Amino acid sequence: MNTNLVDVRSVTKDFHNGKITVNALRGLDLAIHEGDFLAIVGPSGSGKTTLLNLIGALDVASSGDISIFGHDLMAMSRKERAELRLTSLGFVFQAYNLIPVLTALENVKFVLELQGVDGGRHERAMSTLEDLSLGELANRRPNEMSGGQQQRVAVARAIVSRPRLVLADEPTANLDSENSEALLVMMRELRDKHGMTFVFSTHDPLVMAHATRIVTLLDGRVVSDKIKNAGDAAGSAN
Amino acid sequence: MVSVSTFRIAWRNLGRNLKRTLLVAGAIAIGQFAFLGTSALMHGYGEQFFNSATGPMLGHAQVHAYDWRDDRSMDLTLDDIDALLADIRSDPNVTNASARIYAPVMAALTEDGFMGVVVGVDPVTESHKAGLLPVDGMGELLGEHRVMVGAGFAERHDLKPGMEIAVIGQDTDGSIASDLYIVQDVMWSAVEIIHGLGIVMSLDDAQELLMMPGRAHEIVIHTSDRELIDETVVRLSQLPSLADLEILSWDELAPFVVTMATMVDWFAYIVLIVVFIAAAASVANTMLMSTFERTHEFGMLLSLGCSPSRLSVMIAIEAAILGLLGVAIGTAAGVVFVAATSESGLNYAALGGSDEYEVAFQGMQFSLLIYPRIYAKDIVIAVSAILATSLMAVVWPIMRIVRLRPVEAMRS
Ligand SMILES: Nc1ncnc2c1ncn2[C@@H]1O[C@H](COP(=O)(O)OP(=O)(O)O)[C@@H](O)[C@H]1O
Ligand SMILES: [Mg+2]
Repeated sequence: MNTNLVDVRSVTKDFHNGKITVNALRGLDLAIHEGDFLAIVGPSGSGKTTLLNLIGALDVASSGDISIFGHDLMAMSRKERAELRLTSLGFVFQAYNLIPVLTALENVKFVLELQGVDGGRHERAMSTLEDLSLGELANRRPNEMSGGQQQRVAVARAIVSRPRLVLADEPTANLDSENSEALLVMMRELRDKHGMTFVFSTHDPLVMAHATRIVTLLDGRVVSDKIKNAGDAAGSAN
Repeated sequence: MVSVSTFRIAWRNLGRNLKRTLLVAGAIAIGQFAFLGTSALMHGYGEQFFNSATGPMLGHAQVHAYDWRDDRSMDLTLDDIDALLADIRSDPNVTNASARIYAPVMAALTEDGFMGVVVGVDPVTESHKAGLLPVDGMGELLGEHRVMVGAGFAERHDLKPGMEIAVIGQDTDGSIASDLYIVQDVMWSAVEIIHGLGIVMSLDDAQELLMMPGRAHEIVIHTSDRELIDETVVRLSQLPSLADLEILSWDELAPFVVTMATMVDWFAYIVLIVVFIAAAASVANTMLMSTFERTHEFGMLLSLGCSPSRLSVMIAIEAAILGLLGVAIGTAAGVVFVAATSESGLNYAALGGSDEYEVAFQGMQFSLLIYPRIYAKDIVIAVSAILATSLMAVVWPIMRIVRLRPVEAMRS
């Protein structure tokens, strides 16, 4: 019915903490297009994480409509949403992304297993790690890797089954600029090569520099939506 | 189906807080050891108790004329003993059958008379470990008017080997019966009636004295295995030659022994219950702590699309491994303990500070040496019970995880 990857229309989200109600999103509209490398920015508490959680089918809006790949999220059951996350979405979180008792390779393989991929999990996971130049980390556990290495493995895990949309909530928040740069370059290449769509929330100017589009939130609403031309974005990546 | 990686994650999670894991496994191990140790001692005690109870006096089963046990009247005899014994011995489970005669008598050394009981026994068939003549060569001391007297009896009446005693009683017709006998030896026996009153003579001598050729009062039967007693008794009771006789197994003859054996079993089960409560508490506590600590991680896994049921299985496996680890260590320790003591026995008396090895009670002889026994059944019961308790202990943590919403878990 529409060509947008994701359509968020008039969405509100309220949190009730005892007697206090927080209106985290207050009638938000956003369309995400295939191939976007989209940074969602805004001050702390403006609703970035809440928005990503709604798009990622991790939480349910209080009102409004969200359609993702043409499916009406609001009409999905808890199980259907889990299924959608598993098959079509990739997640990179701010921290504690990886299962601590599994090696990098096992972490990546685990997602394939969750998805019910039967044969060739090892090869697929290994080639994904190698494509991202993470081959030598394959047998390390999270506590044997730096924060930047962990985040890159988390990206490998998020994209191993080629999801159409990758959501990343402040992926560089705990990284220094060198590691942030490496992470962004890696994701940008995935987008350029495979046409994957990335949506970040961030405070990080570096992320904004790499983004093709920047959406600014304030008090649960979109206050600006800027599309940079491809040249700009590529230029700042170098 | 539980996947390899679910199992791997569960296993490695136990290594994350190794100290805590070992503490809990150790606690379960100690509990399991306590249970196995207790039940091994109880089984050893029960076996010993059984052997003592059924030992020289009771046997595994007994045959009498009806009413003999109540009346103890001389004339309530078993007739044609040889044919009867032959019938009984033809049963494949019967390892020993011995006829006995009991007769209250007066005995006299000089002019003073005193009470005694003539016990007529078959010198050949009573000469076995569970018979009335357990010491090698004892049987050869009897016959031809040679008798043995109980140690207590001998001491009370100053009887010494070589002395001649007169024995005066009543035969089966009620006439006076009397004869002279040589005290061949003094015998030690835990059987009270022999120790305190016994004039033990050969069955032939007793039959001659009491005018009861080919007859006796009792046949004591031993079978090859404790488990075979009941079926053997049933089969023997169907023999035509036993049609008018009473045949009873040891547990019918001495019901209090059964009661004691049952109490012994209960004691082990009480220990088992205590062990399980302790195991459940420690597993539950550990799993609750470790799942609380990992709330964020569970949120991440749920976010990826991992199902709550898979997480639950992971937690359940973790608890099961924890329980089984403890139970395995405890079982190993228990088996080692039993292996080390089952041959030589544990000396209860020494634990109590005395060195008497035997005590006697109501005609039964009790050794204070216990030979611990472990039965496969105990291990199976304990392992399944600890497994079940461990799994029950994670019901609460699992209920919490199933209700967990990924977003909230991630925020914590
Ligand atoms: N689960 C929740 N319960 C209560 N309040 C929440 C919850 N999640 C977010 N909020 C509130 O909603 C607002 C938006 O939060 P969030 O989306 O996390 O902002 P951002 O990611 O932009 O910092 C904040 O005021 C925050 O405190
Ligand atoms: Mg946030």
